[in-house]
Amino acid sequence: MNYLFFIVMLPLLASMIVSFIPGSQAKAIRNVTLGASGLSAILSLVAFCTFQVDGGLQFETKWIWVESLGLNFHLGADGINIGIIFMGAVVAFASVCCAGDITHRVKEFYVLLNIMIGGVLGAFASMDLFFFYFFHELALVPTFIMIGVWGRGQNRNYAAYKITLYLSLGALLALIGLIGVYVQADADSFSIPDLINKVKEQSIDESAQKWIFPLLMFGFGILVSLWPFHTWAPLGYSAAPTATAMLHAGVLKKFGLYGLIRIAIPMAPVGAQYWLGILAWLAMANLLFCGLVAVRQKDLNLLIGNSSVAHMGFIFLGIASMNIIGLTGAVLVMIAHGLLAALAFGLSGHFYQQNSSLDMTQMGGLLRKMPLAGSAFLMAMMAGCGLPGFANFAGELTIFFAAWAAGYKLITVIAVWSALVVGGLYMLRAIRNILHGPQGGTWKNSKDSSPLVTTAFGLLLALLLVFGFAPNLLTKGIEIEVKKIVYLVKPDIDEAKHLDVVTR
Amino acid sequence: MELAAWLILLLPLISSGLIGMGAFRSKAVSAGFSIGAVTCSFLLSLSMVANVETLNTSINWLAIEGLKFDIGLQIDKLSKLMLCVVTGVGSLIHIFSLGYMKDDKDFSRYFGFLSLFIFSMLGIVLADNFVMMFIFWELVGVSSYLLIGFWFEKPSAADAAKKAFLTNRVGDFGFLIGILMVWILFQTVSFSELQLNVQKEDALMLSGLAGFLIFCGAMGKSAQAPLHVWLPDAMEGPTPVSALIHAATMVAAGVYMLCRVFFLIEGTWAMEAVAWIGGLTALMAALMAVQQDDIKRILAYSTLSQLGYMVMVVGLGGEHDDHYAITGVAGTDAAMFHLTTHAFFKAMLFLGAGSVIYACHHEQDIWKMGGLRSRMPKTYWTFLIGTFALCGVPLFSGFFSKEAILVVAFKESIPLFLIAVVVAVLTTFYMTRLFIVAFTGDARSDYAKHAKESPSVMTVPLLILAVPALFAGYFNMHEPDPIILFASVMAVVFGFLFARAIYKNADKDPLPAKFGIFAKAMNERFWFDEFYQWIIENVQENLARITDIADRWLIAGLLVRGVHGSTELAGRLLRLAQTGNLQTYAFWFTAGLVAVLVFALS
Repeated sequence: MNYLFFIVMLPLLASMIVSFIPGSQAKAIRNVTLGASGLSAILSLVAFCTFQVDGGLQFETKWIWVESLGLNFHLGADGINIGIIFMGAVVAFASVCCAGDITHRVKEFYVLLNIMIGGVLGAFASMDLFFFYFFHELALVPTFIMIGVWGRGQNRNYAAYKITLYLSLGALLALIGLIGVYVQADADSFSIPDLINKVKEQSIDESAQKWIFPLLMFGFGILVSLWPFHTWAPLGYSAAPTATAMLHAGVLKKFGLYGLIRIAIPMAPVGAQYWLGILAWLAMANLLFCGLVAVRQKDLNLLIGNSSVAHMGFIFLGIASMNIIGLTGAVLVMIAHGLLAALAFGLSGHFYQQNSSLDMTQMGGLLRKMPLAGSAFLMAMMAGCGLPGFANFAGELTIFFAAWAAGYKLITVIAVWSALVVGGLYMLRAIRNILHGPQGGTWKNSKDSSPLVTTAFGLLLALLLVFGFAPNLLTKGIEIEVKKIVYLVKPDIDEAKHLDVVTR
Repeated sequence: MELAAWLILLLPLISSGLIGMGAFRSKAVSAGFSIGAVTCSFLLSLSMVANVETLNTSINWLAIEGLKFDIGLQIDKLSKLMLCVVTGVGSLIHIFSLGYMKDDKDFSRYFGFLSLFIFSMLGIVLADNFVMMFIFWELVGVSSYLLIGFWFEKPSAADAAKKAFLTNRVGDFGFLIGILMVWILFQTVSFSELQLNVQKEDALMLSGLAGFLIFCGAMGKSAQAPLHVWLPDAMEGPTPVSALIHAATMVAAGVYMLCRVFFLIEGTWAMEAVAWIGGLTALMAALMAVQQDDIKRILAYSTLSQLGYMVMVVGLGGEHDDHYAITGVAGTDAAMFHLTTHAFFKAMLFLGAGSVIYACHHEQDIWKMGGLRSRMPKTYWTFLIGTFALCGVPLFSGFFSKEAILVVAFKESIPLFLIAVVVAVLTTFYMTRLFIVAFTGDARSDYAKHAKESPSVMTVPLLILAVPALFAGYFNMHEPDPIILFASVMAVVFGFLFARAIYKNADKDPLPAKFGIFAKAMNERFWFDEFYQWIIENVQENLARITDIADRWLIAGLLVRGVHGSTELAGRLLRLAQTGNLQTYAFWFTAGLVAVLVFALS
């Protein structure tokens, strides 16, 4: 059964249906969108559950499009992206649940939201380089418009402008890199598996790899807010409408990381080895620098935005470790962080809806006022500072072990400090300021989350807990695929496991 | 029996989960689940003691090639003892809470958190590997956070919770790095495999640094200097919580962990660090306790001081011998012995304090009590037993366990032995002070005047705890050493006489007038908190401020606005060429054509 096709196409179909519904029928518009994204989330659950761990590429759809160029519409899932697609579809559904705060130009918003969802899911499902890139752009363009039109605050135009500038630059650099890969590999097909097989037989010239990889690393890196190209993220998210922030921070942002793992490293393994040391240091900067910046924030969304940037450091560090443990942990954190970021932005959106402000110095005692949203926020912050039981912990712990084994000892020490102490500091400050203490003055009339929104929060939390209690559900599949990638970089098996670095 | 072992761990989790999922709507059901779970765990633990020698069982949590983390249970003498302490004291405190928290509007939430805490603590006790221990280590941290901040609307409680969690996190940072170091050395995190490897390859002797880093974890949880500052503040939580977490269980986790992995630190320089940090904590905390006025804070500093004893004796090590029944090593055996007796009598003292506080309408200042003896006889007598046990009055449980510590100290290090004796004098001194001021003499406030004995749901757990506080020492007696015996009896006698001379019939504390700055230093806890506050405000905040400014101006401002600015400038310059004048365009067109021609022809 090619579930993937329906998972990707349902939201796109919904966007077409919505565009034919009159704008006054806000309820119908919302229901169609909810139905489509709900159905696609259910299908993704079915796909995730029926996925064969050692079955290679599954749920394929393959249509030949331009044969002469080797352009195909090719969807498929393996151990790496099945979890991401599942996470993405669930986050998409949750973001639609939380989009009730949009009250003007509802129709246009939902058309764009549906396109964005379809694009996001399509990008992760594509096994063809062209569609991989195309779907990403399909999701990215609505993001800019949504921030500009439905965004919050006076800064929204600047934010929309900045996020556009940065992300376009990142996408452009990555595009140059991808073209470089295509040309240097002398490829006759855009199919990602074919390309990998091709470079496995005859790898790209080493000197070419050394300039292709940084293009991809920084191009994709900018999309993921790699330090020092990260400042678009907190600003953009604090100006974005709730659903957009949830989808972008949760899912779309992972595109760059996915590209690094799926394309950059396999295509340019020598280049990767050459540049990954630098990536490790940048990852550390993400963790420490952005963590410290998060400590200083007074606006909740800026805090979540900065912490989200800091968390990207874990994933970069996992990739830079370039061993099986590290890459597996990186994908694990990608999924965990997607759920968490969506949850955090969903909650902050709910808070904002109550009082049109996220100034933490004016908040307080909300746990009493909104026990459901408050408890969810408490758990989200705890997951964010790496509490065991949530999926984030499993991934972060794995990455610490991987980085330590890879010999990045100083970086690991700093990363652990940033995760445990700095992370704990700003997360607990947020709880202290928002949930604890006496009730803030202007928050007297705030309400708890509605059943639909609570369901969304509950769903995200439940998945975080499920994957936290049983990370093997994800890692078994990830490990198999990741192993192939690591062996491309390090053909020696022991070195790939990286267990030879015993210092006696 | 494996199922039973898993149930011990999981029952409290299930209870906590059920309360969270909806049982919280009914107070009775929540309390029922919570108390049922912990008592069942207690009964199952007892059956473990009776029926099981050792037991190991595990399931995999996370496995990636080259990395394997299990959730495994290790039941042996050490964990069986600890299981009984945790679930036994835990059960009584759950029951006591029924009375103490009766009128609280978040009664159900309280019991949900208590169950969560018991689950986390049992995880530490049962853990058979470092990673599992770390997982539950963190969970204990967070459940303690939730319980300290239980009255979260009170700013001081919310701040105390945050402080406790973050201080523990600093310790956990060292702990995790230590675990990484151990893992890279031995390729495993399982305690049993580590023990085999350590014995097999002497060459692979662990570095002292790794041992010390692991000790950092204990430093956080067991509140050893310099990470002790969170424990006194943690008294902001409900009193039964202080009894459970901050006297009997969580703070003992550090000592327990050190005993569990003693083979890793034995013989390294970390041992000496452990011993001296323990000894100095014991001394410092005892000095601080002398000048506190809050009944719970006195007990909190006393806990710090007693934990210091335990940590010190772990660090001293001592001989290996089979007649040390629990661990086979003199030091760790004495530590576990004292941990056990201390859990009973300190929990009882805290519950007694809770009973007093409850009767005095949440008054905690001992100088506003007085004369409670006749009004609260059950509390009075049990508190007296607890005080005797803590001071080490002969034949009470604390006497035997403290003596076990002094014996090891006397053999291994005379300076630390002397410190330990001084601490014993101070212990008797501050406990006698507390006792005389709060329970004897005349009532010094209206609340104290009208205090009534607490209901039996609170006094019965006190009476039950009095039994082990009296007799727990007889299970692990060794031959007495005359010198030690003399020293410890003298310590009690002197401490008592001094305190009696000073505080008999006193209306306020005479020490500040006599000792001035020194008394103030003790009262102000040697300014540790102020020092940390200064560091946080001046170092941490400034660091964050600098990065924030750098982020805002250098990276976001200069770079981004630079790109913005130069693009706009280019646009403005190019706009100059677009005059809208047809002749100008024609001119440029012709000029361009000429240029191309010249270029092409030359």
